[in-house]
Amino acid sequence: MTATSTALNTRTSTPGALFSTLSVPIAIVALLVVGAIISPSFLTVSNLVNVLNANAAVGLVALGMTFVAVCGGLADLSVPANVAMGALVTLGAQSFAGPFAAAGLGLLVATVGGVVNGLLIGYLRINPIIATLGTGAVLLGLSQQLIGGGIVYGEPSALADFVKGSFLGIPVMVWILAVAALILTPVLSRTAFGRWNLAVGGNYEAAEASAVPVRFTKAGAFVLTGLLAGLCGVLLALSNGQARPIIGTGYEFVAITAVVIGGTSLFGGSGSVLRTVGGVIITALIGNLIILGGLPTQATGLVTGAIVVVAVGIDVYFRRKGGRE
Amino acid sequence: MTEAHHIALRMTHISKSFPGVKALQDVELEVRAGEVHAIVGENGAGKSTLMKILAGFYQPDEGEIEVDGERVGHWTPREAIDRGIGMIYQELNLVPDLTVAENISLGGMPRRGLFVDYAAVTQRAKDVLGELHADIDPATRLGNLSISQQQLVEIAKVMADKPSIVVFDEPTSSLGERETRVLFSVIDRMRRSGIAVIYISHRLQEVMEIGDRVTVLRDGRHIETRDVAGVTPDHMVRLMVGRDLNEMFPKLDLEPGERVLAVRGISREGQFADVTLDVREREIVGLAGLVGSGRTEVARAIFGLDPIDAGEIQLRGEVVSVRNARKGRSAGIALVPEDRKGQGIIPGLSVRENFTLPVIQRIAQGMFIFARRERAVVRSLVDRLKVNPPQIERPLNAFSGGNQQKVVLGKWLLAKPDLLILDEPTRGVDVGAKADIHEIIGEFARDGGGVLMISSELPELLAVCDRIFVLHEGILVDEIARADATEEGVMRSATGQVAA
Repeated sequence: MTATSTALNTRTSTPGALFSTLSVPIAIVALLVVGAIISPSFLTVSNLVNVLNANAAVGLVALGMTFVAVCGGLADLSVPANVAMGALVTLGAQSFAGPFAAAGLGLLVATVGGVVNGLLIGYLRINPIIATLGTGAVLLGLSQQLIGGGIVYGEPSALADFVKGSFLGIPVMVWILAVAALILTPVLSRTAFGRWNLAVGGNYEAAEASAVPVRFTKAGAFVLTGLLAGLCGVLLALSNGQARPIIGTGYEFVAITAVVIGGTSLFGGSGSVLRTVGGVIITALIGNLIILGGLPTQATGLVTGAIVVVAVGIDVYFRRKGGRE
Repeated sequence: MTEAHHIALRMTHISKSFPGVKALQDVELEVRAGEVHAIVGENGAGKSTLMKILAGFYQPDEGEIEVDGERVGHWTPREAIDRGIGMIYQELNLVPDLTVAENISLGGMPRRGLFVDYAAVTQRAKDVLGELHADIDPATRLGNLSISQQQLVEIAKVMADKPSIVVFDEPTSSLGERETRVLFSVIDRMRRSGIAVIYISHRLQEVMEIGDRVTVLRDGRHIETRDVAGVTPDHMVRLMVGRDLNEMFPKLDLEPGERVLAVRGISREGQFADVTLDVREREIVGLAGLVGSGRTEVARAIFGLDPIDAGEIQLRGEVVSVRNARKGRSAGIALVPEDRKGQGIIPGLSVRENFTLPVIQRIAQGMFIFARRERAVVRSLVDRLKVNPPQIERPLNAFSGGNQQKVVLGKWLLAKPDLLILDEPTRGVDVGAKADIHEIIGEFARDGGGVLMISSELPELLAVCDRIFVLHEGILVDEIARADATEEGVMRSATGQVAA
């Protein structure tokens, strides 16, 4: 009996779980308060809508990156390449395929990039960082070859107008992020695929021994991220009307930041899509505050980088304390 | 008492507990300089724990250690080495891409200023290899040596620290007969130079040959220490297993039905060869053998976690090709693995999520998991298996080992297999949970399932199983019917004392 009751009291995940559940809403509120003090133009509807709009596209990538982190796949560093591919194909193919088919093609190409990642990581079991660093370099190089390093311009179209438009006062880009989050939240928490992601990230060998399709699951997370990076590229291209191969530079890091700030462990086994949305909002607000506060834009990298290191450090600390070695 | 026979090591009243298990209780060990002191015992008798305490990896809860008559307090592995304790494990701790000389000095490279003094490194290796009469060139890349030569390098590495006490933990498990001879002559030289040698082995013949005295441990207790000259292997076996059966295992009397599993001549390179066995409905079949005999490997192969090189596996008369656990599950097989922490549980997921993992697609309705149905299924199982506390949303790592094991067992009951393979299902589990687990296994068999059970605990196997197959070094050496099974008989087969 004593043995059982000691086991009860050592709920290893409690501090970590509490930290990640409460910290996201508290941080958002704190940022809103601090922002309102720093700058009178911060806490206005138009500023907040603009901030969300500017971060919606990269937010889509963060949703995919959540699955990658949850399944123990660490991170997808090929995101900038897949964003670029999606964007360049969307505009480049418009002349002969029309805007809709071109956008579809852009999505397809980025998804294929995700499939390649999935095969390398899930089935050949190559370290995800190495694999996506490699595929990212190859795809980016390929995209630069395709367009000769220049800029691709798009033609005006109904699709571009729709992406740039608003509905009920909220930009379509934000709506798309919201819908994607609403779909992917139950995919992670309520489907077999989502449960497999959690299991594979929680204990790969045990998941395999429990008849979980471990390879398929890990591959699936990277395919999903490829698809969402493609969607990000398509939307950026349509709303900007132009695209360059460097269009998604740094997006992998912003996405990782959002995932980590949301409280999803980069080491797998736990996480939530909604929390990542919270992470996207926090990163977006921090970036906005840095600009409104009169600091140079470069400070954004400094601040978010520091936050990631601290957040991962806290995660590792609680894991060690929880005796997971 | 001559100088050569002074007490080099004295461990007294050593006790050590881990959560839920008393690994050592009031254990004594006394080793003289210039003797080879063998330690024998069944798996889980406490040999490794005792040696890990000696090497500074664990701190004892109680007890004292004296080296050369001097008491040592809590010490770290580094301090243990500095005080002359050398450990040679079954697995080698060497770097294949470095040279022999570099490996030998790995723990502390001689330096001249900032730089490694390579002349000294080479000289040191030459000296110590010469002492061991080992004809190995210190400049050779380690990976180019045979396993036996690598082991000599490992010994040389330990000897370079000039130890006064050297522990060999199952040193011959990866060696052939000729290499074993080489090792024994090295050990003999150590003995003659006044080193206290502790020798742990399952192979009783070796103990008889190289040992001067032998200490028998059982269930974490010291049973006896005596001169090897006055004991037979038979006697040692009796001391190792001879516990009073005060915990009774309930045995169901069931009439076995049709054959569920038939394994014909399966082999897997380097693990087991030509294994043939069968399990019938309503039958519990035991698979006995020492650690490293291939028990776990056979179980994993039948389930599909590791591929087989030869032979066939039939389920209910049909040949099945199980290439992974998913195929194994579809064929109607379930495996509760030996390594609960590593392969059984997903620690961060809840009891509910762990329970339904193998069958989650069946619980999903359309795309989404039907939450109410999942909870209902899990609740009824939690009641039936007496998971305590019955909180299905609590992460599984917050439960005791026994409860975790119930969940691992339960998740496979949900898959409704025909054949349930259990690898050490009650290891590290407290007595209450153990009885519960036996009850669950019995129920499964009564309902028509076949059970293949691995256990290092012989009384458990003898009490629960209808038949017992015995593995020794990857070969099936014996099949014993319930009526004829004795602990001594099984142990004799498992230690290779009967011809196959």
